Amino acid sequence: MEKYDVAIIGGGSSGLAALKQLSNLGKQAIVLEAGDKIGSKNISGGILYSKKPKKGKVTNVEDLYNNFLEDAPYERKITRYILHSTSKDKIYSMDLTAAHDYQSNFGCTVLMNKLNFWFAKQATEASHKFGGGIIPGVHVKSITWNDEGRAIIQTDELDAFEVKAIIAADGVNSEIAEMVGARSKFNPTQLYQGVKVIIKLPEKIINERFEISSGEGAAHLFAGDVTLNHIGGGFLYTNHDTLSIGAVYHFDSLLKNPIEPYTLIDALLNNPMVSELIKDTVPITKEPDKSLPQEEQLKTRFDIAKLIKDWNDVRGYYFTSECEDPDGVKARLDSLEEQMTEKFGITFGIKHVESEYGAKLIPDGKRCRMEKPFFKNILFVGDAAGRGIFIGPRIEGLNVGIDDGVLAANAVARALDKNDFSESYLGEYYSQLVDESPYTVDMKQIDKDYLKIFLDAAKDVPSDIIGSRYGPIMKMMSSNTFRGIAIKFANILGYDKLLPMIETEDTYVKVPIQLAERLGKIVSTSYFPKTTLIGDRISKLSYNDDHISHIKLLDTANEFMKKIPLLCPAKCYAEENGKIILQYEGCLDCGTCSQKTEWRHPRGEKGVHYNYG
Amino acid sequence: MSAGSISYNPDGTLNRSKTKNTLGPHSKIATQAAFYAKVKYGAKISVGSMSGHAANNALQIAMETCDADVLHLYNDPSFAGADTIGTAEVLKKGVEKMEGQMERKMDIVFSGHRATDGETGQTGPQIAWKLGLTFLGNVISYDVDLEKRTVTAKRLLNLRGVPEIIQEIEAPLPVFIAIDPSYKYHFNTVSLRLSAEKYKKEAHEKSQNYQKYIQTFNREGLGAEKTLIGLVGSPTIVYNVQRVPKGKAIRNAKVLDGSNPEHIQQTVTAIKEALSAMVIK
Repeated sequence: MEKYDVAIIGGGSSGLAALKQLSNLGKQAIVLEAGDKIGSKNISGGILYSKKPKKGKVTNVEDLYNNFLEDAPYERKITRYILHSTSKDKIYSMDLTAAHDYQSNFGCTVLMNKLNFWFAKQATEASHKFGGGIIPGVHVKSITWNDEGRAIIQTDELDAFEVKAIIAADGVNSEIAEMVGARSKFNPTQLYQGVKVIIKLPEKIINERFEISSGEGAAHLFAGDVTLNHIGGGFLYTNHDTLSIGAVYHFDSLLKNPIEPYTLIDALLNNPMVSELIKDTVPITKEPDKSLPQEEQLKTRFDIAKLIKDWNDVRGYYFTSECEDPDGVKARLDSLEEQMTEKFGITFGIKHVESEYGAKLIPDGKRCRMEKPFFKNILFVGDAAGRGIFIGPRIEGLNVGIDDGVLAANAVARALDKNDFSESYLGEYYSQLVDESPYTVDMKQIDKDYLKIFLDAAKDVPSDIIGSRYGPIMKMMSSNTFRGIAIKFANILGYDKLLPMIETEDTYVKVPIQLAERLGKIVSTSYFPKTTLIGDRISKLSYNDDHISHIKLLDTANEFMKKIPLLCPAKCYAEENGKIILQYEGCLDCGTCSQKTEWRHPRGEKGVHYNYG
Repeated sequence: MSAGSISYNPDGTLNRSKTKNTLGPHSKIATQAAFYAKVKYGAKISVGSMSGHAANNALQIAMETCDADVLHLYNDPSFAGADTIGTAEVLKKGVEKMEGQMERKMDIVFSGHRATDGETGQTGPQIAWKLGLTFLGNVISYDVDLEKRTVTAKRLLNLRGVPEIIQEIEAPLPVFIAIDPSYKYHFNTVSLRLSAEKYKKEAHEKSQNYQKYIQTFNREGLGAEKTLIGLVGSPTIVYNVQRVPKGKAIRNAKVLDGSNPEHIQQTVTAIKEALSAMVIK
């Protein structure tokens, strides 16, 4: 049996960080990634932060990848961070840029497919020196231990092999955690469900509409009627030449009031402010003359497709900051448009262009982070350990995962040096590192300085809108004298008791609606997006279907499974004659249904592949 | 004159300089099969291509696919208008050239199942014949025993009226393998996968300036005889190209009602009959 020092299961940003760090420390590690290409299985909302906490230290992305700021394919650095309260055509906006900048070096928008691919390239180069590397297309099936305590990894694709330590970076639906019994599945009270669309928009149009320059970015958050009465909200982030638009809602709120996740995206797209921001000019083609011979019709279709491709390329280039000869390019664009109209009767209309739809579950670190993120010689990192930060408008995950990856790598390197992989030497030590991490502290305690910035931003909000429910608390929090006492009291109560008071419909729905209605400005739009059908969204994704299903239905006669046709973001489930049926092809591997099914990640290279992520 | 993506000269020979130049899908699978030998047995790979193009995109893709050590391009006006046997002669000379450079005989020569521009599938067997190598066609997987110097291969056979048969054979090296379109390599250990990834990375880097690796040979350089190559060496003349006529539907369809037990019985009987006809006795 082949033997290796360390196996990292999952090639997301956290697993890759572990590989990079272990290689930096001169240790041999291999990453096992289920996707056929690194990054193809990864999706995120889209902001990666670099933080500078007041107390303690974190490893940021640019600490681990020294050339990150110069070379990495991140999208834009966020310079504007705004929270919008919506009610129909009225919007009340609060500038939270100061809250976003709080203890931050920067926050940049990212698309995980290309970013993780870049991370992988850096990590691979380092790892090859020590006999490690990345193996894509491999799905881990089981882990057992031999007499010496070494872990034996079985996969669907490779012969079994032996390792001294494992870093489990297999995401929110960690199969490793479940199969070894390190933790139970996260339950709906501990999870958010996120759905996202990528919308294409030329670079300079983004700059103009969002009032930013080419390197800068805007992040917009939404609460109010766009939530369709759910706890959570919408987001819109500017990428280089796309927009990431998504809806993130607490899973138990969706369970209470089930709704097809994509309608939450549609609600956002139909908000007049968002509609205005996403619209673009698109060519509208006519069907070729049916009376013509078929070959002729086919030729026309090809010619049209080619012209449109050229038009898209030239237009895309015209609207980039790299375009050196705008007049010359514009002349080419005009001539292309003339050809399109004259030869083929193509007209130009207003639409939004969706490029990719995706979904994922997100762990709410306040409620589900693993207290002891280890089991025997396995360390859990990032989403697998349940470590997402959701504190009001503060939403972080990627940076936490990267930091975890580095901490786990440090702990494993120390164990390799002493050849001791016992729980007391490896696991407990890692657990202590994680516990001391400023991110963990933030998940446990309220930071009064952060709260002050947030309250300052909300200072124009009339106190009666805040409602009787948390009026007194807000009053105390808003007073410089009492805030300290109030926060001390709140921290004694703990997040457990506080959360049900803060994360409510009042906060995410009612108060924002009132705010918008009373203080909001009317935003009008001339563009009313047509709903994209879920079937069309799914059909644009690329899949490599397995002939066997990665999801097995168990008992479907329960309340959860009855709701699943509404909760599945890919509409893989339907009810037929009172029975729940599943079509696993088209699954987004999000894990929403994993609560009450036998759920596995698809085998190596199988399932969905994202192009943006 | 052209039909589909294939162009012909007025004299009826294939116009290869107008036929789109890329690595044919079957040839690509042959380079993948060679890559398997590189990863698993540390083989050295030489790729040869006869082409009218000086800047050869096919060889770039070949480099990217198999991390070749040597790229050969066989290019000479006298090669033009070659049929399969005229092509086989040039490629035979190419293989001999490679052997001369390596100062040893080839262990395995790979070809694709067939070309996509000529579509006859004869070039591979003809090269094997010219080189005097054992020919293994329709190979879907193979392994080499380095000590015994033998190759074991699985061949996918399609015989009329019989379901697919997989034949397993063993042959002493050297052999000529024409690879089946369904071939896909599989590395079943971590170490093989790691070295495959390493070679892939190297292949990608080398393919970025693949021209550096190309050695071009003309007729003289290969030492090919004028009478055996190009139009002169090609007995085949394409005088007409026709589409394959569509066959008439011979299906005998019958509409059955799923709720009628008798109809279900009929269906079961029909399936049983069909299945029993498929069993090889």
